[in-house]
Amino acid sequence: MAASPATAPRTRRVLLAPLDPVHDVGLKLIKKQLEARGHQVTLLPPDLTPEEVTRAALAGRYDCLLVSRTVGYESAEILARLADLLDGAGLRPRMRVAVGGMAVRPELAAEMGFDAGFGPGTPPEAAVAFVEEAPPRHDEEALSLQKPDLCALYSYHWKDTVIGDAARELARGIVAWAEGARTPGSERAAVAQAMLVADEGERLRLEEEYLHLCGDEVVAMRRGQPPPHGRLIGEEEKRRALGLFARGRGWQPLTVTGYQRLPVVFVQYGTGCPVMDALHAVVAARWGAQGTVHFDPAWSARQEGLPRGLVAWSADGTFYTPENLQFFREATGNDLLWQVRAHRGLNTPETVVWAAAAGADLTKINPVYGSLGGGTDPERLLVDAVAAMRLAARYGLPFDVVTNEELGGVPAHKAIAGMLAVVATALELGARPILQPLFCYSPEAMLEGYMEQDYVDWNAAKVIALRRIIDAPIWPGAPIGFLTHTEERVQSAVTTSLHAGLAASLGVDAITIASTDEAYSRGPITAAARVDSLRAVGEVFRFLGEARVSPTTRAEKLAEQLLEGVAGTLRDALRQPSFCQALYAGVFGTREEGGNPGRAGRGTVTRSAPQ
Amino acid sequence: MGGALDRVADALDVETFLVGDSEEECLRLARRLMEELGLPDHDVISLQFRGLGARVRVRAYLYRPGGEYGWLKEGNASGG
Repeated sequence: MAASPATAPRTRRVLLAPLDPVHDVGLKLIKKQLEARGHQVTLLPPDLTPEEVTRAALAGRYDCLLVSRTVGYESAEILARLADLLDGAGLRPRMRVAVGGMAVRPELAAEMGFDAGFGPGTPPEAAVAFVEEAPPRHDEEALSLQKPDLCALYSYHWKDTVIGDAARELARGIVAWAEGARTPGSERAAVAQAMLVADEGERLRLEEEYLHLCGDEVVAMRRGQPPPHGRLIGEEEKRRALGLFARGRGWQPLTVTGYQRLPVVFVQYGTGCPVMDALHAVVAARWGAQGTVHFDPAWSARQEGLPRGLVAWSADGTFYTPENLQFFREATGNDLLWQVRAHRGLNTPETVVWAAAAGADLTKINPVYGSLGGGTDPERLLVDAVAAMRLAARYGLPFDVVTNEELGGVPAHKAIAGMLAVVATALELGARPILQPLFCYSPEAMLEGYMEQDYVDWNAAKVIALRRIIDAPIWPGAPIGFLTHTEERVQSAVTTSLHAGLAASLGVDAITIASTDEAYSRGPITAAARVDSLRAVGEVFRFLGEARVSPTTRAEKLAEQLLEGVAGTLRDALRQPSFCQALYAGVFGTREEGGNPGRAGRGTVTRSAPQ
Repeated sequence: MGGALDRVADALDVETFLVGDSEEECLRLARRLMEELGLPDHDVISLQFRGLGARVRVRAYLYRPGGEYGWLKEGNASGG
């Protein structure tokens, strides 16, 4: 397309010269763009000597000469010879000269006296800007990102009425069962809400009330004691970090998704330090991540109460504190979808309160996983989860419902049945749930041989089955390819990216991806490892475009098998006195299978009225 | 018996993420890093800057094809 008159630059005469045995496609792309903008361009044939290029430059009155050199051998010598010849011919005062190509480094060009040097990966636009003497078009203007609403397109209509009816009946039972029940967690959530609107004096009184609902270690931390192997981050350090991250955010992100609108790509963070987390998140965002997921410490999930302050430690997961969450939001800006997980521990409802207050976009709630795979007592977590779902509905926070109990060995159909009961409960409470099947090489898949042939069919079967059950968003996790990663970086990036390609092929709404350090467990994840996975995912999306990975017919059979199993599990649950009893009884995973009802918070549920 | 560097087949790549304000600064930092590591003969294989810093891979060739390979020296080739 030609430039419009208002933006048309002065016409230049440009000579393009490939100093290679064959034509460089880069020069052809530059020629096309220059001509589209009205410039007069001459492209010399390949395999000319510096002397022949100089003679051609002398023969016309060119404003610019762009030379490309791709072959590495003797590049410096040939370009130096060209520079000498151009000087000797008296061309340099009236003709600007740039060199580019795979063999060229900007500093090499500068050393030889060329006006510019374009190394590998330079877009043609940079050469156009050079010709037009316009400022190079860096990507320094921050992109105003439109954060997608993952739930917007879905009706939550139950398409499988047998499964839908059973899930809804269980949901009504869960809501009625939880009525009038409270826990230290739900009470702290109420105090936290009051704190958000209290004046200073009232906040001090509420703090005392809050402390009465906390465990001893959390009380000590709230009174200023740093966590073990941790420290409080000072104001000066915070100020410097915010300044650095603000500069880093001023760059337009790479686009990972390319042709595809979906899936939205999330990365996980939780190095233990909010400053390091923010650095990783800003880096990940610049390399194309569109969302982040906060991982809190496993230790903290089993404590009554949340610490406070801007606090770091050197163990896994970053503490949920109001200050840590606020810092992360401030440091990363508002261009990433941000999920704060509330799903598994003793602080589930309260986490939703602080997450919403800090500006989180999403949370995560699943009492089935949290009690069978996360160590929390089923009764306690079910009460807290209902409270958390009510809060999520009130704050307008969608949440995913994980099925990570599969990682412990629980069969997928039972994990999915549990997820669907929670989804139905969420809908009953006016919330917006998101389905989160696992894309993983699960113990069940290993034992049953579902993935011996490929990593495609079993994962695809889960999505196919869910699509037949309910019209709801699907966000496979977490991370995709779980248990297929090794410590080897290339393998790790490839398996993540191929699972991402499968997810894109299945048209899911979002994915959570691992870094290439996913399988490395002897130290924290590195920033470089995050970049590498994102680049790999971007390449697979670029490779696929709108093409699709196609599962075999086996995926259909596995999906049917899942549907049957899900319906059977829900029927079994309905035969129990309550959903809670079904969790203890192993309906959603027996101990032998890997469903272990947790103990944290046992005996902490009180009821204001008999049930 | 030679040192471990003698057993490097050809080159040593250093990969990391450098925090910096510009591509130029990160390029300088990458080179200085190699100098500080005692590897003056190096090349920046790839460097991608996207704000906040750059993903970088820098290579120091210990042996180029046709050179005298440390891993073929007496005592090294036999696995000693």
